[in-house]
Amino acid sequence: MTDRPITELPDDELVRRPFDELVVALQQIVQRLEAGSAGLEESIELYKHGLRLHAACETRLREAELQITELGRRGVAGAEPEAASAPGEAPRD
Amino acid sequence: MADQPTLWDRRPDEPDPPGPAPRPTPRILRVTDLNRRVRSLLDADAVLADVWVEGEISQPSFPPSGHCFFTLKDANSQLRAACFREELARAVVRPAHGMNVIVHGRVRAYEPQGVYQLYVESITPAGAGDLHARYEALRAELTAAGLFDDGRKRPIPRWPRRIGLVTSPVGAVWRDVTNVLRRRYPLVELVLSPTVVQGTTAAPAIVRALQRLYAQDELDTIILARGGGSLEDLWSFNDERVVRAVAEAPVPIIVGVGHESDVTLADFAADLRAPTPSAAAELAVPDGGQLPAILSRLRDRAGAALLGRAAERRRFVDAERRALAGLAPDIDAARQRTADLLDRGSRTLTDRLERRRLQLAATADALRTLSPMATLERGYAVARAVDGRILHDAAEATVGERLHVILSRGTVETRVERVRADAEEELLS
Repeated sequence: MTDRPITELPDDELVRRPFDELVVALQQIVQRLEAGSAGLEESIELYKHGLRLHAACETRLREAELQITELGRRGVAGAEPEAASAPGEAPRD
Repeated sequence: MADQPTLWDRRPDEPDPPGPAPRPTPRILRVTDLNRRVRSLLDADAVLADVWVEGEISQPSFPPSGHCFFTLKDANSQLRAACFREELARAVVRPAHGMNVIVHGRVRAYEPQGVYQLYVESITPAGAGDLHARYEALRAELTAAGLFDDGRKRPIPRWPRRIGLVTSPVGAVWRDVTNVLRRRYPLVELVLSPTVVQGTTAAPAIVRALQRLYAQDELDTIILARGGGSLEDLWSFNDERVVRAVAEAPVPIIVGVGHESDVTLADFAADLRAPTPSAAAELAVPDGGQLPAILSRLRDRAGAALLGRAAERRRFVDAERRALAGLAPDIDAARQRTADLLDRGSRTLTDRLERRRLQLAATADALRTLSPMATLERGYAVARAVDGRILHDAAEATVGERLHVILSRGTVETRVERVRADAEEELLS
């Protein structure tokens, strides 16, 4: 996770961002464009960012697969604390 | 046909046909007649006309007519039952599969199908009095404690990233929920916290499963779900421990238990109540089917805004150019103006000269009128002495003096012969 604005991320990092973040960024760009306060050059840059975000969203949608984690079982709990710990450590749950 | 005697029409006192041989020809009944006879037998039974039956509802169906048909059964036997729309509307509970009920009604035959069934007049849950009283008491207590306040309800996140699910790891609910999420919004991560949802151990197990999820970071929404069942099956969702655990959820929680008609206290404590587990899953995520269209609209709006921006810039530049053009000196116009001025100037000058010329001519005329020559033209003459004096009086002349008499044309040199004082008489003579 970086503090860089999402629009400055390269495409391969962009598609790993949370989907809602991409959509919100796209919505913000549309709003800024529609507000008309940006200059022409800035507007063109915004539009390019918007296209990239749109493409990233579509990629995410196309490749999305429901990810399932089950709590209280060994080795399957991606979000469980023990999933990140060294193998052989006793599960806590 | 009705006049013909049938097997059933034989009077009890009528002797049996003689036999054993020859065997009598049996009377053949029509199906309709048989069913009618069974029906009248059943209708004549006072017990069957007003009966209370306890049993478990199985496979209720709700056709569009608004009536309900189900099977009432116990361990050994089953009975068809029909509940018409009017009675169904009055029923305390909606018939559900597995529900233990006490049904009041009458048994009759339905001739067209040759079946007998229980025509339901009322349905009450078996043991409902006790359960219902406990339910209402707890509901009142928890309402007073503020657990069900509308002000506590939180909005369900619109774009969840992680959703927690508390349900049984086996069975239809787990499958239904994952199917809905897979279909609608597979971008989400589903965290299952499995639990038993039935029996006396269910309530504490559900609480533990909820608390396992509450310990998770970055969950956006929690779903607590269970499929349909009898009132007793769903009872753990009316357990105070479960209701309080639902109310304590650190993130918005959706409860979807049983069927649409089943409302548990856990439903009241939830941020959002879903009629069924599948509905809970649908309420938890946006409709992914709409997303491509939403995204396309956003992209189109960006494009339109950019084009609008460009058009606006072009209009601005055009306006600037026109404004600049307006500031530049207009040589042609200036030339025109100068020419106009010159024209007007020269015209004025010419007019003035002309006027002067006319005045001059008039003056010249006047001058001419006043000139001595004009007088001479009219026949007058001027007498001038040699020294140049012009004579006005005869006395100024001397006899013998030479005078020049100037006429209109030419001059006569004369010598004065005599001087006379009178002039007029001479002129008029």
